[in-house]
Amino acid sequence: MKLLEVEGLTARYNAGDVLKGLDLTVDDGEIVALLGSNGAGKTTTLRAICGLVPHVSGSIRFAGTQILGMKTAAIARLDLAHVPEGRRLFPGLTVRDNILLGSSNRPGVARADLKREVDAMLDFFPDLKPLQHAYAWTLSGGQMQMVAVARGLMAKPKLLLLDEPSLGLGPLIVQQVFRIISQIRERGTTVLLVEQNANMALSVADRAYVLEAGTLLVSGKPDALWNNDQVRMAYLGGLAASA
Amino acid sequence: MSMLPQLLFTGVSIGSIYALVALGFVLLIRSANIVNFAQGEFSMMGAYFMVILFAGLGLPYALALVLAVVLMTVFGVAFAWITYWPLRDRGQVPVIISTIGASILLANLILATYGPSPQVLPGLFDGTGFLVGNVFMDSQYLSIIVITVVLVALQYLVFEKTMVGKKLQATSQDREMAALLGIPVVAMIFGTFAYSAALGGLAGILVAPILYVSVGIGAMIGVKAFAANIIGGFGSIPGAICGGFIIGIVETLGAAYISVPYKDAFAFVMLIVVLLVRPQGLFGERIAEKA
Repeated sequence: MKLLEVEGLTARYNAGDVLKGLDLTVDDGEIVALLGSNGAGKTTTLRAICGLVPHVSGSIRFAGTQILGMKTAAIARLDLAHVPEGRRLFPGLTVRDNILLGSSNRPGVARADLKREVDAMLDFFPDLKPLQHAYAWTLSGGQMQMVAVARGLMAKPKLLLLDEPSLGLGPLIVQQVFRIISQIRERGTTVLLVEQNANMALSVADRAYVLEAGTLLVSGKPDALWNNDQVRMAYLGGLAASA
Repeated sequence: MSMLPQLLFTGVSIGSIYALVALGFVLLIRSANIVNFAQGEFSMMGAYFMVILFAGLGLPYALALVLAVVLMTVFGVAFAWITYWPLRDRGQVPVIISTIGASILLANLILATYGPSPQVLPGLFDGTGFLVGNVFMDSQYLSIIVITVVLVALQYLVFEKTMVGKKLQATSQDREMAALLGIPVVAMIFGTFAYSAALGGLAGILVAPILYVSVGIGAMIGVKAFAANIIGGFGSIPGAICGGFIIGIVETLGAAYISVPYKDAFAFVMLIVVLLVRPQGLFGERIAEKA
């Protein structure tokens, strides 16, 4: 079942068109990676889906609802969560409160249930448990990324948008982040993943789209992309891919 | 020295008014990230609503007080709609200028309507007060302290212990991220304006029997409440409260022991001292720590 259907998406900032008629779909239960170099339009695609780009045209259907033109908060309340580039934690709030606020798209949930959900989330991210009362600004980059993902999952999203989760992290932490992305899929959450680290992204993705200058260059399953010379040389690193 | 307890009681009471208005400042800084220079005029408007409802229309005092606070809540929403909303995406400076303009407009509207003569409002209770030791507990001064303590406690609970309070803090810290989480950012900001106006209006109503109701009341309270914010630490709730009390006590003691005509200057001397010794204020964080 198609959870997200993007058709002919064009997005424009003052400098000009960033996306030029992009088509992509995400099926229920999939991890789909969005790859490409800097400026290809990956982050803009996620921001357009969330209603953060003012000048967009085309069509974005999420769970059967046309969300193009809807307000950002209203889109979030359809159970679409976005973990943006740079984590964007609330620095003056604790880890626990940051995670708790992830449930803001579900305003009717009882306080006791939310407390249980936050405790369960801290069980899922055991490294965060001892830090739950620390202010977010005191955390390391890797810890911040865990909190950002935990906050996204607190939305109980049908679709989780992950933007550059490995950015600025050391190799061991990157591996840990991608292990968590695999575990998120095992929990049944669909993921649209934007990532510069194409090798890692393809290791967890079911399908991938490669963007170039706002248009779709190629799409397919990871195996097919590994064997595509153009993609391999440009985005996967020739040596790593041929290994 | 025998006057000291009495002066401290008066200082804490006057400081409570500054603290209430300073709280309104802090709330808007924390939720919408703006400095509202018309915050003092909210006090003036509250007092004049009370003049209209109680002295003008002859409503019972309690009913007039409740209605005045409700009117201030509505006024806060209208104020946000006119002065803040059209400029929300243009940075802080245009909004600050807009609130200064609104402050001038409101003061002159009242001046044109009621003239410069002060209006008189009675206090909350008919009785004049009672003695505790050698301190005379004036009922109006005591009411101000009690109401301030209750409101401050309530506000602390709302901000720190409720989901709404955490959403308000989130909205203040990163509005776009708050929206991405599904927080109704617009409602949060308008709600804060409404509460902030109600708080300022209530402060004006409470202080009216002591200072009389006049056009100048807004600017006087607003400037001192702003100074209270700076002294306490910009954007800090405990800081706003302590800053308000400090200014109230310092100006009362200064007036009693040094000079009455220079009463208003003591608050600003205190402000300068704090800025020199501890620029981040008593409860403020150093900028370097926030990076």
